[in-house]
Amino acid sequence: MTIQAASELLDTKTVASPTSFANFWNEFSKNKMAVVGLSMLLVMIVAALLSPILASHDIFTSEGITSADVYQAPSAEHWFGTDDAGKDVYSSFLYGAGVSLIVGFFAAFISIVIGGVIGIVSGFYGGRVEASLMRFTDVMMVIPDLPLMVVIIALTKPSLFNIILVIGLLGWTTTARIVRSQTLSVKSHKFVLRARAIGGGNPHIIRHHILPLVLPLMVVQAVLVISTAIINESTLSFLGLGDPTTASWGQMLYFAFQRGAMSAGATWALAVPGFGILWVVLGLTLFGQGLEQVLNPKLGSHHLMAGRPIVKSEAGKSADVLLDVQELSIHYIDNENKAPARAVEKVSFTLKEGELIGLVGESGCGKTTLMLGLLRLLPEAGQIVGGHVYFAGNDLMAMSESQIADVRWKDISIVFQGAMNALNPVRTVGDQIAEAIIKHIPEFPKENINARVLQLLDLVGINAQQKDNYPHEYSGGMRQRAMIAMALACNPRVIIADEPTTALDVMIQAQILELLDDLRKKLKLAIIFVTHDLGIVAEICDSVLVMYGGVTAEYANVDTIYNAPKHPYTQELLKAFPDLTIPEKKLTSIPGYPPKLNNLPAGCRFAPRCPLAFARCHTEQPALHSLKNGDLHLASCHLLEESK
Amino acid sequence: MTNRLRTIIRKVVWALFTVLFVLVLNFFLFRILPGDPARAGIKDPRLTQEAIEAIRVRFGVDKPVINCFESLNPIKAGSCTVNPFDTQFFVYMSNLVQGEFGFSFYTNRPVADMLRERLWNTVLLISAGQIFAIVLGCIFGLFAAWKARTTIDYAALLLGLFAWSMPTFWLGIILLYWGSGYGLPIGGKATPGMSSYPAWQQWLDIGRHLLLPTLAYTVIYMGEYMLIMRSSLLDVLSEDYILTAKAKGLSTFQIMKDHALKNAILPLMTIFAINLAYTVSGVIALESVFSWPGLGGAIYDALNRRDYPVLQGAFFMIAVSVIFANLIADLTYSYLDPRVQSE
Repeated sequence: MTIQAASELLDTKTVASPTSFANFWNEFSKNKMAVVGLSMLLVMIVAALLSPILASHDIFTSEGITSADVYQAPSAEHWFGTDDAGKDVYSSFLYGAGVSLIVGFFAAFISIVIGGVIGIVSGFYGGRVEASLMRFTDVMMVIPDLPLMVVIIALTKPSLFNIILVIGLLGWTTTARIVRSQTLSVKSHKFVLRARAIGGGNPHIIRHHILPLVLPLMVVQAVLVISTAIINESTLSFLGLGDPTTASWGQMLYFAFQRGAMSAGATWALAVPGFGILWVVLGLTLFGQGLEQVLNPKLGSHHLMAGRPIVKSEAGKSADVLLDVQELSIHYIDNENKAPARAVEKVSFTLKEGELIGLVGESGCGKTTLMLGLLRLLPEAGQIVGGHVYFAGNDLMAMSESQIADVRWKDISIVFQGAMNALNPVRTVGDQIAEAIIKHIPEFPKENINARVLQLLDLVGINAQQKDNYPHEYSGGMRQRAMIAMALACNPRVIIADEPTTALDVMIQAQILELLDDLRKKLKLAIIFVTHDLGIVAEICDSVLVMYGGVTAEYANVDTIYNAPKHPYTQELLKAFPDLTIPEKKLTSIPGYPPKLNNLPAGCRFAPRCPLAFARCHTEQPALHSLKNGDLHLASCHLLEESK
Repeated sequence: MTNRLRTIIRKVVWALFTVLFVLVLNFFLFRILPGDPARAGIKDPRLTQEAIEAIRVRFGVDKPVINCFESLNPIKAGSCTVNPFDTQFFVYMSNLVQGEFGFSFYTNRPVADMLRERLWNTVLLISAGQIFAIVLGCIFGLFAAWKARTTIDYAALLLGLFAWSMPTFWLGIILLYWGSGYGLPIGGKATPGMSSYPAWQQWLDIGRHLLLPTLAYTVIYMGEYMLIMRSSLLDVLSEDYILTAKAKGLSTFQIMKDHALKNAILPLMTIFAINLAYTVSGVIALESVFSWPGLGGAIYDALNRRDYPVLQGAFFMIAVSVIFANLIADLTYSYLDPRVQSE
């Protein structure tokens, strides 16, 4: 029950059924835990099956055994010594393997069937059926099962059949809960709804649509239930409740422990059966854990893992601006043997005090990666492979970890995309804002922090009494505004706003934009605004950087971008953007998708979707051309070279 | 606030309902299955005449089992119109409410008296083991998650799975064998004759006796808490708010302490609650290995002596303790997690 219960609570298990068995086998054979676990299990199953052949002695007869045979040390005759009755421990071990495995498998079968039925029925039918079945499951879960097993078996007869039945009938609770949550998530799948819409009866839907998707999870669960059943059987046997006509590992331990193996120094009689239990349970646990990893792969990396080292490039010279990004390149390297994903390549831009730059492009063009790269917040696989980021003349890429930590938030802060999860759910909003001040302005008088937090919240239009609320008590728009208040806490000079309005409705979007624009004017903030909405850009930006496939497509002042775009991608983007002055304009979207960053085209990255592409575009990458003398206008397209 | 109060009341009511379920289950199990303590007790030649008379009164054996049934094993229908207060079921219920569990077949002493002290001994062993297991498990799990996918992580994972796969009582036997070589006590709770020594020496003596069983308990369940903590922390550390904390310029230590730990430990609370029912089973076997005078040891002795009243009483005490411990863990969890309060 334990580990399964744990994983149920921690993971919302959504085990997808493997596309094909070959595919599954391929993944499975690569998982060391699963392979080792299965092998350990198979070895013991084979040993149990072949026990009549492998056993060196007949353990069911006492013929020819004398008192001199009791607790004999291991020898050529008795590989693992003899037990309290003078019987061969090696042969008993092989025989006990069969008993333990039979109990484990049959009891687990009963548990899985009961748990599966209760889980599927309550998940599928819902309502009162679900409520009462789950209540019953909860009640059964809290009652300690082993003491109950002990009571029932003590009152009845400790036969193998009874033991299997009792262990099986009491071990289904976790399975029921896990299967129920899986059924709930499967139930809302499109094809299930469709099957229902065309009039499929409930039994039909359960058999053909629900069961195949719940089954892989039940297999994982079964493996873990078998191990619990084996442990339970051995514990019952060790308490003296084993079937007297058979000899499981638990019983071997019971007799050895009861009959003085310890004082006789007959460690083998205690070690061997215990080792058997450990071997099988460990095999099952490894197998189950590995199987789950195969069926439900997780990323396994997190934000605090040491990232890849920055590849230092030769120091350049910083322009006399607030932020100067020079030819920054970022790659994602998942696997040393695979080609890296070139997420950002040689992107440069500058930012003056009070300037608002718009960073535009479709999803998956490297915008967020570029922003995280600026503050060296990339995930583990991300590596800065070249370039510089000068902030007020200092290269952020050359700083130590503690130096950059001082720059973060104090000088450059970030408002993340989707503030839903960007705030810690178990700390109040006010507390999280105060934390930034305490960290970066240690000299800030303690008694004034509260007033400062209230002032910040007021700035973004949040009531004072909501300071001590938790994030889940805020609406989506409020959380976004709280995030902005937090970003302003240490009076930064640059704010990176990474699609801060994406998930919000239009009214709130407008409010937040207005707020940012207002703050920029009031506090002389420089803002990098990441978005894929050109409408927003037109309204508030000073300059625009259009990114495509990780490279700069076009970089110019906002007027130039709107009135004289030179890159075909910018032109196509504008075609997809409604213009109020030309209401009859036909909106066209760009067919296709941005390229995969680990499989980029050989030539221009936009060439496959470009309406103007010609032969050279498919073979050669265009350089970034400067188009206006004096004024800022850069674009990367072969056409521009031709026209020069 | 009213919401929160309602949640608490709902949880308490369910715990009480579960206790009631255990009561009914306990009653019918011992009536349906062979080995009814009341009837068996009367037939038992070891009992004195007074004890038999006491059983007769206490269990109301002359009364029908419950309305409509004269007896359940073998099934014999009876009148459905008997006064419900005049049945074995009612006598049983009112006895339990007054904390009476009948008399032991073996010692003739009241079961409640025999088990009261044992209950505290079990609670002592479980608390000591749980505290060490949780603290150490969380610390190791924290390191494993922090250093995810490094050698430290893999080693911790394997050790955790290894410890979890070991039968508790077998580890107990190994430790007993090993500890006896170092002169550690191999059984019981106190050295005989210690009661004449000063209190601090008595406590020290109990501590020495607790050492090995607690160690066995800690090793087994530490592995489990470590695995859970690791998995929980890995989930938390890949959340967006951790990236926010990093962007805020907080150090790894500060992020762990102020942002990750509380979020990672909260789900551990519920698992701890669910686990209680399970860890008790390990304790029963462990107590019999170390002859620890707790409820598990009582069950073990009762089994060997076919002492059903003690078995029934011990099961009831264990079940009720687990249900209440579970309730407390559950309530603590909902108190600590702000998201539950406003549900």
